Amino acid sequence: MASVDTGIEEAGITLEQAPEHASAAMHPAIHIRKRFRRFTPFQRWVHFFIMVSFSILVLTGMPLKYSDQAWAQTWMGFIGGVQNSGMLHRFAAIIMVTCVICMLGFFATILIRTRGRFWGPGSMVPNWQDYRDLKAMVNWFIGRTPRPRLQLDRYAYYEKGEFWAASAGVTIMCATGAILWYPEVAARVLPGIVINFALVNHSGGALLAMGFVVVFWHFFHAHLRPEAFPMDKAMYNGGLPLEEYAHERPLEYERLVKEGKLEDVLMEPLSARRMQYENILWWVITGCALVLWATFTIFVVWVTYHWLISF
Amino acid sequence: MSARTAVIAVLAAACLLLVAAGPAAAVTFTIPVGGSDRCLECHAKPDLGTIEVNGVEKSLTVSADGYHDSMHGRLDCTSCHAGFEAREHTPEETEGWYEQARLTACSDCHADQAKMYDKSFHGNLVMNEGSIKAPACASCHGSHYIEDPTTTAFREKIPEICGKCHGERTFTYEDTYHGKSVTLGDTSRAVCTDCHGYHSILPESNPASSVSPQNVVKTCGKCHESANTRFSSFLVHVDRSTPKSSFWVWLMEINHAVLIGVLFTLGGLHCILYFYRGLREGMYHRG
Repeated sequence: MASVDTGIEEAGITLEQAPEHASAAMHPAIHIRKRFRRFTPFQRWVHFFIMVSFSILVLTGMPLKYSDQAWAQTWMGFIGGVQNSGMLHRFAAIIMVTCVICMLGFFATILIRTRGRFWGPGSMVPNWQDYRDLKAMVNWFIGRTPRPRLQLDRYAYYEKGEFWAASAGVTIMCATGAILWYPEVAARVLPGIVINFALVNHSGGALLAMGFVVVFWHFFHAHLRPEAFPMDKAMYNGGLPLEEYAHERPLEYERLVKEGKLEDVLMEPLSARRMQYENILWWVITGCALVLWATFTIFVVWVTYHWLISF
Repeated sequence: MSARTAVIAVLAAACLLLVAAGPAAAVTFTIPVGGSDRCLECHAKPDLGTIEVNGVEKSLTVSADGYHDSMHGRLDCTSCHAGFEAREHTPEETEGWYEQARLTACSDCHADQAKMYDKSFHGNLVMNEGSIKAPACASCHGSHYIEDPTTTAFREKIPEICGKCHGERTFTYEDTYHGKSVTLGDTSRAVCTDCHGYHSILPESNPASSVSPQNVVKTCGKCHESANTRFSSFLVHVDRSTPKSSFWVWLMEINHAVLIGVLFTLGGLHCILYFYRGLREGMYHRG
């Protein structure tokens, strides 16, 4: 694919200028509103199951963590008591562990394809560009500079942060959760105090996962971030219009054009009918996400308040 | 022997039997029943005042309904309040009565439990060392409103009952999965008495105790079938807020508090500032 027709020459611009002219005709695909495939159906299904199982885990786990609170007792009664919510919690845990195993398999295929090279552009490994992006954003936040144009490759700094925080979190939660599920088995090889450690870590890790990873990072970046509001649809229908993508992630776009791989990641546009019914479903999902986000946020504020007044 | 002599002989034998067996039956089987109404004529009045016992003001009022609904509701008051007459009581009746009844009132009927209790840590303090703070029967079971201790409702209250003296232990218990489940209404999980026993509670240091190093694995094994010594070395009563309880658990707790504090602050600031800038620059208004 050495001589892919990028349309750049016809548009009379250089490759470096291309993202700036994203809405102009750069690539023939844009004329027919082709979409950029950001996530494969496999990734989207894994995400869906993680989203559902995570919500179940939070909704059945938090009342146990705050068992001395009236709301926890009411909610626990509503979801059918400790035994039932424990079953649900374990069921959701199995779904999530299955997702994690699927993702590990997915990472393995990447490693095989790249012959062990897991870093570099387009990967999840942080680099200096992420640092520069974050610095530019902070400068904008505090009003020192105008809004920066981030030099994003496939993943932005906040997505990388989310990924690694969630990876660390899921490792800790799976390990400690397994110990708490089968404490007698764990005690065959580990000392009893490890069960105490598991309790503290499962409980603290749950709050971190919910507050930091989900409320402050993921919900915000996927729904409330100005560029994404009310929802970043890529995880829902797989992609986004090519010109939007080229504008948002210039580095990946340029890289793919240079490598001649852009054709591989193009998707057919959505049909008008599909768009229509997707829009309805899309608002339903966004609505649910906002309700959960509001609940979780109120909860995190409540926890923080109680933590502060405990001094 | 004439028929008349035979009748007299049978009657005499019956009388003899009655005279001999009557008192014995009264002691072992007959419980005086139905005599509480006379007492409640006065003692059900709400404005009866109080009496000081061991420095604690106790009400002289007894709720008639509460008493009749209790496990002992059909007993005569004098079964426990031995020697009291149905009139205004004299000092001879009342003085020192409580101290005595505390030790003896229950054991006539509940001899087996009393025997176990006497050998327990609590029983030794009360019976042999004369402690007025250590619990006797009524401290846990109550007096006028005794409940059936085998019910779920009573089981639910056990951590609270023990917590009257062992508050710190109940606090740490409620931080475990056992305690949390019971708090949330699942009484099938272990409460204090499942591990420590009840009438025959002994301290951990006593080899006969259910939580002594010799017996604790067996005690855990009642529910956790494959429990071993490592499993039973789990710290049930650990206060996460202080290094005195368990240094490593405390350290882990502090580690989490710091992590949560720092990450929530940074994450929260990133969100709020991004949102605020976005709003100010009109980024949420798109055609």
